Amino acid sequence: MSGHDSKYFSTTKKGEIPELKEELNSQYKDKRKDAVKKVIAAMTVGKDVSSLFIHILAGQWDAFADKITEYLCDPLQRCLKDDDPYVRKTAAICVAKLYDINAELVEDRGFQGALKDLISDNNPMVVANAIAALAEIQENNSRPIFEITSHALSKLLTALNECTAWGQVFILDALSKYKAADARKAENIMILLQMELITSTDVVRNLCKKMAPPLVTLLSAEPEIQYVALCNINLTVQKRPTILAHEIKVFFCKYNDPIYVKMEKLEIMIKLASDRNIDQVLLEFKGYATEVDVDFVRKAVRAIERCAIKLERAAERCISVLLELIKIKVNYVVQEAIIVTKDIFRRYPNTYESIIATLCKSLDTLDETEANFLETFPEEPPQVQLQLQTATVKLLLKKPTEGPQQMIQVILNNATVETDNPNLRDRAYIYCGLVLYTFCCFTGALDAAKDVILAEKPVINDDSNQLDPSLLDELLANIATLSYVYHKRLDAFVTCVKTLHTTEEEYYPGEGGPSESPALAAVTTASPPATTGNSRCPAGRQPAAAPAAPAPVPDLVDLMGTDNDNTAAVSTNQPASPAAPPLPVLLSASAGQGLQISAQLIRRDGHIYYNMFFENNSQIPLDGFMIHFNKNPLGLAAGGPLQVPQVQPGTSASTPLPMVLFQNVSPGPPSTLLQVAVKNNQQPEWYFNDKISLHLFLMEDGRMERSTFLETWKSLPDSNEISKDFPAIVVSSVEATLDQLAASNVFFIAKLKHANQEVLYLSAKIPQGIPFLIELTAAIGIPGLKCAIKTPSPDMASLVFDAIETLLKG
Amino acid sequence: MISQFFVLSQRGDNIVFRDYRGDVQKGSAEIFFRKVKFWREDGKEEAPPVFNLDGVNYFHVKVVGLLFVATTRINLSPSLALELLQRIARVIKDYLGVLSEESLRKNFVLVYELLDEVIDFGYVQTTSTEVLKSYVFNEPIVVDAARLPSLGPAALFMQGNKRMPGTAVTKSVVANEPGGRKREEIFVDIIEKISVTFSSSGYVLTSEIDGTIQMKSYLTGNPEIRLALNDDLYIGRSGVPSYGYSGSAGTGAVVLDDCNFHESVHMDSFDVDRTLSLVPPDGEFPVMNYRITQEFKPPFSINTLIEEAGSLKAEVILKIRADFPSSITANTILVEMPLPTCTTRVNFDLEPGVVGQTADFKESHRKLEWSMKKIVGGSEHTLRAKLNFSQELHGNITKEAGPVSMTFTIPMYNPSRLQVKYLQIAKKMKTSNPYRWVRYVTQANSYVARI
Repeated sequence: MSGHDSKYFSTTKKGEIPELKEELNSQYKDKRKDAVKKVIAAMTVGKDVSSLFIHILAGQWDAFADKITEYLCDPLQRCLKDDDPYVRKTAAICVAKLYDINAELVEDRGFQGALKDLISDNNPMVVANAIAALAEIQENNSRPIFEITSHALSKLLTALNECTAWGQVFILDALSKYKAADARKAENIMILLQMELITSTDVVRNLCKKMAPPLVTLLSAEPEIQYVALCNINLTVQKRPTILAHEIKVFFCKYNDPIYVKMEKLEIMIKLASDRNIDQVLLEFKGYATEVDVDFVRKAVRAIERCAIKLERAAERCISVLLELIKIKVNYVVQEAIIVTKDIFRRYPNTYESIIATLCKSLDTLDETEANFLETFPEEPPQVQLQLQTATVKLLLKKPTEGPQQMIQVILNNATVETDNPNLRDRAYIYCGLVLYTFCCFTGALDAAKDVILAEKPVINDDSNQLDPSLLDELLANIATLSYVYHKRLDAFVTCVKTLHTTEEEYYPGEGGPSESPALAAVTTASPPATTGNSRCPAGRQPAAAPAAPAPVPDLVDLMGTDNDNTAAVSTNQPASPAAPPLPVLLSASAGQGLQISAQLIRRDGHIYYNMFFENNSQIPLDGFMIHFNKNPLGLAAGGPLQVPQVQPGTSASTPLPMVLFQNVSPGPPSTLLQVAVKNNQQPEWYFNDKISLHLFLMEDGRMERSTFLETWKSLPDSNEISKDFPAIVVSSVEATLDQLAASNVFFIAKLKHANQEVLYLSAKIPQGIPFLIELTAAIGIPGLKCAIKTPSPDMASLVFDAIETLLKG
Repeated sequence: MISQFFVLSQRGDNIVFRDYRGDVQKGSAEIFFRKVKFWREDGKEEAPPVFNLDGVNYFHVKVVGLLFVATTRINLSPSLALELLQRIARVIKDYLGVLSEESLRKNFVLVYELLDEVIDFGYVQTTSTEVLKSYVFNEPIVVDAARLPSLGPAALFMQGNKRMPGTAVTKSVVANEPGGRKREEIFVDIIEKISVTFSSSGYVLTSEIDGTIQMKSYLTGNPEIRLALNDDLYIGRSGVPSYGYSGSAGTGAVVLDDCNFHESVHMDSFDVDRTLSLVPPDGEFPVMNYRITQEFKPPFSINTLIEEAGSLKAEVILKIRADFPSSITANTILVEMPLPTCTTRVNFDLEPGVVGQTADFKESHRKLEWSMKKIVGGSEHTLRAKLNFSQELHGNITKEAGPVSMTFTIPMYNPSRLQVKYLQIAKKMKTSNPYRWVRYVTQANSYVARI
């Protein structure tokens, strides 16, 4: 803008605008209304009145704003059909804006339909924006807004090829999001083919090979992009270390890398370190440990320790590097080295104690962290105080003489009286109690105290793959998103209410569940590039082995382990979420030679999972877990192989095993008994019993119309009616009871009142469509409930009684 | 989708701020800057480019000292957000010619106009300078580029290389030359960033080249361009026919580990004759990025000698030798070496009669810095530094000092030997032949010698 233009600003400044501003802030409604009209008039003639908008909004005239938005609708409608694609693509986004302001208006005016029409637009950018707008509307709406029909799909795929990278992102996002809803449809198979998400061992291996160079190339981008790439690689190598096993060199830190890049690289190097490359890696770590940046040096020393713990055969070499570093006598290096050797001692007890001599020689160089004396106790950092306190109590217990007794008095006195640190103080109180108890009351108590304080510490394990496998799977499902970089579940940081819908959808990517497996199997067989292109045997001889036998080969899971829903790679895990109650123990550690198994059947999103938790209290790592279910009335069986990684001693693993129904139905009278057999490579086969709770299996579509209910009730002979009394159950409120039952798909039909008794009629349905008509009779607040059931298969009634009892007791 | 976009100066001033969705509080720029500035307290030096604070996700990249930031509340792909920020920076630079705090402030109307077209309601619409030209009408106000520190890869050529028209690269893609005539020219730059780590005995431990072929076209009518590369260029090691030891001395094939191309590049005849054809969009863009781990001769050898002279003294001798032809000159060379903590004083001996060299002891960083304006190929330079310590080091100087690192720029030289054999402008112009500039440059990325 050149100088002479400024006169326009100065004239308006003195006149109209301040005047309007005053009117807009007026206390009289009429005046304000007039002022807004004037503003609009000024806008129409092209005057810049934008500085007044804030005053209009400040007036909080919601009603008025609504009116303005209403006036917007007609022009918007026209713009959506404009000749110029630029106008159309802008109008598409505008619908999303309008939805944000007034959702009803969008629905009333049928803008969603207009957006759907735009999917067939011949301009790819218009298509991309329309799909983005639809996706946003869908996110804020629980009803399905639009489905990808085969027509829309072909349009989207065409647009995908033509539009900019940004538009491609919108379209791909939409395609991936709507996949779950359409799982069984043929279009889905096309999408899957299009994206080359093929589940075949060979293809996965090839893809793994192909992935390495592009991933590495990302590392020469800007440091910020590098960082994100590294975060992604960090998790990806946990799942598939083979992808980058030969590329460890590219993760060597460069001198001028930003610290956040260096730290991620170190993590990846630790994860990729193996017996084969450890010498190279150690040489690098050693180089880093002599650099200037203190934080980085400490991390490098720690990395050496983690390699020592991870690779038993290389431990000695790692330790010799540590010793070399200690000899340098640089303060922080020695400090860090001492801290980490402590962990090595715990990992390999009684093996490397000779290091202590070298450590002691280096102690004189320490001037910071852990060189302490009792005199300085009050000034030490809390961590040191705590350690010192414990050390003194230990000394006292091992050597109950005069010296240590005085020391402990000084310390405990200080810690209980003078400190502000609650942690320190509370621990001091515990020790006080223990010490007093030990020395004043009972002689036998000394041993008890020793048991507590001098207890053996658990052996340290390699923590380089420290993420819980279920969390890892879930994160992998969200690869390339923020949760991947933070290593956090979505709900841990996404607080926006608006995106609740997405959250749910992405949180349970396994929505398709076991029932989807036929479709996926079809993909495998129907995809020529997957089988013929890469097969080693001649095409004619290739049996349909791969799709038919879901063998527990990890490589059969697709590349990221997310889209292959017929295995247990379901990326969500109930027991891992903090709120879930502990699973019932079915095989105790004492009965299972140290292996403890807890498990429970659960229902999620209409699918049954067997949530399992393995705890290895034995001395050996356990692997090769397999599971089998005995015949049972509902024919419950595993929907895929049991995916449990090797469980190290002292650790645990959990997995949700998807279940399928009517696979091995037992003949004879129904029972709630579920017999399970689990075996692994190291131990004999274990058997245990679980209970089938029928209420998990009641179907969502079990609601009956009143008329149907009556007809069914009448059509069934009286011999099909069975009843049972539950004297212990109290119905305290009809509503609460109905809610309880409805939550498990027992649906309310009608209610009668008989003297002081309530009679409730309900319906429920189990898979294979067997209906149950239920009549509950109870007096409010008085113990005792009568339950009568009429059903075509009365032999299942006992299961229903069980279910009702469980539901109403809980 | 993006909630907000803003640009902050190094001091945290808000230069540009655009809110697209209104779901993140207005004070986010302030909150962001405070968090980034005081990140150190959390034990790290620099804030990572992505972090979450009170439910808001912040993405940022640093471009020429400015912070380009985006915020969102959803689980967005971070690489998408970061790429977007880089692209926005590039678009602004294309328009303004120079990207700096001053140019942004002077052109804020134009910048907001661009931002409104780039992002709508948080959805990215386009980041193509070419496409934006038809919607953006403000003219850039040119900032005097000469006064500014040079920026971006193309600016490398301005240093001490008189053959290049230095101002061209800071020219806006939309502004006309004074006099209304547009100069027809096209720049193709082969920029290679090299990383080398030498062991203490002088062997190459790791070496890598990150290369890019960058193009900036000022041709009217967007004619098609053909770019021919080396005949003996291979992608992926598997493709190299019987590649033996014989070819190590300059005659061997150029083997790229991996490469990627700009979306505008047609590869139809690449397999046959290693030719790329493209219609270059307006603005600066990378035609091709590549990575090479094949061995190459490092341009400089570094020799460090440390001798203890008594208990509180030592002498460091640094020797740098330029192992490239004497027709080539490297410039802006800086050699750095961390010294032991207890170093109190350093005396330097430069070679007698040498010009354009300085040596300094940066006490706060405990670092020796030796800078040279230029080094001619084939020459060798030595620095002697006498160190004084406040306490005895017991022969541990080598453990507490080093490594020696080096930064430099070498115009008209690229260690990979990747070449643009010819640059053909397909459509003949009515006017005389446009100017074609093919330029090579090598820069140190991480050039480190352990001692």
